[in-house]
Amino acid sequence: MVYRIKNYSRRDLNGWRYCFPFVLPGLVLISVFVLFPMIFTLRIAFSNYQIVQGNISFIGLENFKVIFTESNKEFWYAYRNNFLYAIVTVPFIVFGGMVFSYLINNLKRGGSIFKVGFYLPVITSWVIVSLVFKYMFNNSNRGLVNYFLVDVIHILPNYIPWLLRQWSGNAAIWLMGIWKNTGWSMLIYLAALQSIPEILYEAADLDGASTWQKFRFITVPSLKPTTFFVLVNMIIGSFNVFLQVMLLTSGGPNGKTSVLQYMLYDRAFAKFQFGQASAVGLISSITIVLLTLIMNKVFKLDNKEGAL
Amino acid sequence: MKKVVILLLVSIIVISSVFANGVVEEKDSSKVTLKFWYTYGDGEEAVLLNEVLPMWEKANPDIKIDCIRQDGSQYHQMIVTSFGTGNGPDVARIDITNTASYANQGGLKAVSDYPEFDSLKDGFLEGPLSTNNYKGSYYGLPLDTNCKVAVVNTKILKDELSLNEVPSTMEEFFAAAKNRDTYSLNVSGFGDWDLYPYFWLFGGVLTDENFTKASGYFNSAESIAAVKEMIKLHNDGIFTIRDLDGSVDAWDGIESEYAMFFEGPWYNFQAKAEMGIVPALIPTYEGRSASVVGGENIVVFSTSKYQDAAWKFAQFMTSDAVQEAMLKSGQLPVLKDMINSATVLENPVWSVYMEQLATAKARIPSPYTSDIETLWKNCITTIFVDGVDVKQEMDKTALSLDKILAK
Repeated sequence: MVYRIKNYSRRDLNGWRYCFPFVLPGLVLISVFVLFPMIFTLRIAFSNYQIVQGNISFIGLENFKVIFTESNKEFWYAYRNNFLYAIVTVPFIVFGGMVFSYLINNLKRGGSIFKVGFYLPVITSWVIVSLVFKYMFNNSNRGLVNYFLVDVIHILPNYIPWLLRQWSGNAAIWLMGIWKNTGWSMLIYLAALQSIPEILYEAADLDGASTWQKFRFITVPSLKPTTFFVLVNMIIGSFNVFLQVMLLTSGGPNGKTSVLQYMLYDRAFAKFQFGQASAVGLISSITIVLLTLIMNKVFKLDNKEGAL
Repeated sequence: MKKVVILLLVSIIVISSVFANGVVEEKDSSKVTLKFWYTYGDGEEAVLLNEVLPMWEKANPDIKIDCIRQDGSQYHQMIVTSFGTGNGPDVARIDITNTASYANQGGLKAVSDYPEFDSLKDGFLEGPLSTNNYKGSYYGLPLDTNCKVAVVNTKILKDELSLNEVPSTMEEFFAAAKNRDTYSLNVSGFGDWDLYPYFWLFGGVLTDENFTKASGYFNSAESIAAVKEMIKLHNDGIFTIRDLDGSVDAWDGIESEYAMFFEGPWYNFQAKAEMGIVPALIPTYEGRSASVVGGENIVVFSTSKYQDAAWKFAQFMTSDAVQEAMLKSGQLPVLKDMINSATVLENPVWSVYMEQLATAKARIPSPYTSDIETLWKNCITTIFVDGVDVKQEMDKTALSLDKILAK
C-alpha cells in the first residue's frame, strides 16, 4: 500500500513538473489581477482606507452599517433595482431570444439579415447606445418616445421627463438591457437549434402538428439546457449593470435608479469612500454566489447533460 | 529549427528591453522631469506649449516639464486612481472645487508651508485664493478664474422682446419676455454651476458666512422665495431647464430662440458677433447681481519626488508674464495687478467677466463638494420634477447639509 502511494506521488509530481510551466502564466495573471484585488477588497471592506497614505485601519462592520442606515436608502434602492432589472429583463431576453431564433431558423430567405440586425445591438458600444436612448427619452418632442406618445398617438397630454423619474428612468434602463441582450440569447439559441434532430419535426408533421405545437412540444423542451445557460448568465449579468445607469440617469433622482455597481463607482471615485465601495462590492459578490448556488440547486444544473 | 526561431524571438525581446531601458537610463540624471497634468483645450494648450514652456525652459534648463493633457470628463477619476498607485503628476491644474477634497485625502502639499508663500499670497485675488484654503493651510495657488456672465442675443432682444439694449434689471427682462410664446432664458441642468447664479440672484442663501450651517439659511424664507421664483418663471414659459424640458441646448438656442443664458469665458463671442450675440453683466434682480465663481488652481502633489521643483513651476505659472500669455487664450488672470490692466479693460469680453467677478460667489468650500452638489441637485430635481412642497424639501436638505458641514 505504502509502495503504491509513493509510486503514485512520484508520477503525480512528474505530471506537475511538465504541466506547471503551462499553468504558471495563467496562475500568475489570475493571482495578480483577480485573487489579489479580491483579497484586498475584502480587507478594505472592513477598514478605513486612506488611499494616499495607504493606511488601512480595521473598523469592523462600520462601512456596512453606514451604507445600510443612510437616510436616502441608496443602498437599498440599488439592491432592489438589481433584482428588478433581473426580474424584468431576463424573461424578455430568454423568451425573445428563443422566439426570434426559432423564426429566423425557419426562414427560407433573408436569415442572415435578421441575424445581423438582432446581433448588431450586442456589438454596439454601450456608450453609443446609451446616448441614443438618452435622445429617445428626451423630455420634449425632440425625444422619439415623447413625440410618439404625445404628438402622434395622443395618449399622453404632456411630455414626460422620463429619465428624471424613478420608474420611467428604471424602465428606460430595463428597455435598453432587453434591446442590447436579446441578440446575444438569439445567437445562442440559434446554435442550439441546429442540434435538434430534423426527424422530430418530420414525425410531428406526419402526426399533423401545427407550427405552434412543434415549437411548444419539440423546440422548447430540446432547448432546455440552453435556456438554463442563458438564464444563469443573464441573472448574473443583472448584477453587473453599470454603464447604462451611469450614462442615462446617474442613479438619479436621489439614488432611486442606482444599482450596486454604480453605487460602488460613485462611492470610490466621487466620494473617496473606498471602504464603503468595497462593502458594496462584497455584498454584490456574495449575492451573485448565492444566486448561482440557488440556481444550480433549483435547475439541477450539475446533473443536466449537455448544459453549457 | 523551431528552437532556433524561439531563441531568436526571445533574444530580440530581451535585447530590445535592455536597450529600451538603456534609453531611459541614458537621460541626463541631473535633469529633473516634472509631470504636469491639465485639461486645457486646444487654444490654451497651444499657448502653453509655444509661449509659456519656452519661457520656463530658458529660465530653468535643469527642470523639464512633461506636459500631459488629460481627458476632462474622467480627470477627477484619474487623479483619484493616481493617489492609489502613486503614479500621478508632480504638479497639476485642478478644478477649484476639488482642492479641499484632495487636501483632505492628504494628496496635496500645503504650499503655505513654503516661506515665500506669505509674500506671494497678497498678490492674488481673494476669492480665487480662498478656494485653496483648507483647515487654515493653502494647498495650491489660483491659476485662472472665471465666472458666468449673460450671453445675450441682441437681435432677438430687439425683434421679439422690443428691447433696444441689454436690460439692466431682470424685472425689465421678464416683463418683456412674458408675452413671448417661447422660452427666453435657458439653463442646462440642475447642478450647482447651472442654478446657483439664479438662486443667489433671486435672494437665496446657502449657508452662514463661515460655511458651518445650512439650517436657517438654505431653508430661510428668502431661499424658499428664490426657488419659488424659478418655478414661477418656468411655469410662465420664460425660463427653461434643458434637462427638465428637453429644450434646445443653450449654445444652439441662443442663435435662434433664446434671448439670454449665462456662460463662462469659453463661449466664443468673437465668432458669434455677427449674430448680435454679446456678453453683458447679469441683470440685477431687486437691485442685486450674482454669478458663480469657477476656475482652476495649480497644486503640488504630496506623492511627488520633486515637490520643491513643482512648487517653483507653480509659482512660475502664476507669474505676471505667464498670466498675460494665457490671457490670450481666454484664461482670466488671478493677479490683482492684472485685473485693471489695459489688456483686460480694453477687451470687450474679458472686461465684462472681470466686472462680473465682483458680484460672483464661490461655491461651498468643502472636501465633500460632491455630496453637497448631489444634495442640491436632488432637492431641486425633486421640487421641479415631482412638484413636492418647496419648504418641506428645503428643510430636509438643510438638515442633510448641516451634517456634511459639521464633518
